[in-house]
Amino acid sequence: MPIPNSSQETDQEIILHLRQNGIDRRRSEDALFNRYAYFVREGMTKHSISEDDAFNAYSDSVLAAIDRIISGTFQGRSSLKTYLYQIFHNKCVDLLRKKATNKHSVYRTESISNMLLHITDNARSVVQKLVDQADWRQLRERLNQLNDDCRKMLLLWADNYSDKEIAGVLEYKTADVVKTSRLRCLEKLKRLYKN
Amino acid sequence: MDSLGYIDNYFKGEFPPEEARQFEKRIQEDAAFAEEVAFYLSAIMAGKEQLEEERKLQFRELYQHNSQTGSNLTVVKRPLVRRMVTRLSAAAMVAAFVFGLFVVFTASSPQQLADRYIKEKLETLPVNMSPMDSIQNGSRLYNEGKFGEALQEFAEIIKANPADYTAIKHAGIASLRLQDYDRALDYFRKLESFSTLHANPAVFYQALTLMKRNQAGDAEKAKQLLHRVEDKDLDRKQDAQDLLKKM
Repeated sequence: MPIPNSSQETDQEIILHLRQNGIDRRRSEDALFNRYAYFVREGMTKHSISEDDAFNAYSDSVLAAIDRIISGTFQGRSSLKTYLYQIFHNKCVDLLRKKATNKHSVYRTESISNMLLHITDNARSVVQKLVDQADWRQLRERLNQLNDDCRKMLLLWADNYSDKEIAGVLEYKTADVVKTSRLRCLEKLKRLYKN
Repeated sequence: MDSLGYIDNYFKGEFPPEEARQFEKRIQEDAAFAEEVAFYLSAIMAGKEQLEEERKLQFRELYQHNSQTGSNLTVVKRPLVRRMVTRLSAAAMVAAFVFGLFVVFTASSPQQLADRYIKEKLETLPVNMSPMDSIQNGSRLYNEGKFGEALQEFAEIIKANPADYTAIKHAGIASLRLQDYDRALDYFRKLESFSTLHANPAVFYQALTLMKRNQAGDAEKAKQLLHRVEDKDLDRKQDAQDLLKKM
């Protein structure tokens, strides 16, 4: 596997590429991961945790940092190194305090709250309650049972790609064609999930 | 598919305000429609979780590959030209700073130099906004001038986790401020044993402690340690060079 040359990219270049969908973003994700991978060793030494735990904390930190860079929550007031280290340190401390047991449900609640930000409180609480009741394991299983095209399309959609960007990646003629296909795939997923 | 298309249009912000209000009203009044909206959002979240898991697997492969080449253990350095520019700029700033100090101060004793360094660089320890962290509590006590209480807090952390090098470093600094030089040296020697840290100021702090203690032979030992920081390009190299020029 080729190692992305992270030393060539400045913080600004990494941030710029992360905010663009496509191959540059993927390269910059790997570059960011590689650049501070030595945090894993530091985490093991400083917090006396296993390499596996330190690796998980580090990769979760990189994914959280990428998410915040893309969403604009990271405003560049500190260097990427400082920002990432702070997230990593907190994750290691959480790990030691055994507070990270229900990570996914917290992440889901936060993300869905962001998506429902503009909805009135009453409607939001109805939807939030129903989302919390979803069978996540089964939904992901059904997603992986879809044909390859559908699966790829829905994953790109979940990754905030626009229909136009999906058309570029999956070589569809227009964004409208993607939208029609995407909704068909979503309908298939619903049928699989409900049955 | 019609209702999923309708929901999709809403979340893509394609509705005028009145239609958006109707959409939200329908969520509250039509249970089947609310289920449909919840499914739409759950599908996005399931996709995000799937992506996250796949990315973590790719990171693991990358990490394992790099472990074989040893590149996970080292700090990635920037290109030579950039490093040279940064170092030259830093050197120019340090030269200007040293010249300024030279003009202001005449030659000082090692103890005076150490006092000045402590006043400039070790007056406070960094703190952030995490109130539950014991390191932060200790640092706050230190910054309030409660060096004894801060040392106690750091010692407790070290007792619970002897590998916490930040606590060891801060315990050494607090001991130095309490003028308990032997204890400070013990902490800084312990800190020096953490050879995997990419920035470890242990040798420089040992020199500083000896300068401050100023017993017979301490100044000479401090000089040797500062030369070691300079020769081996250790953490606080610029500070070490600065002090050496004045000793």
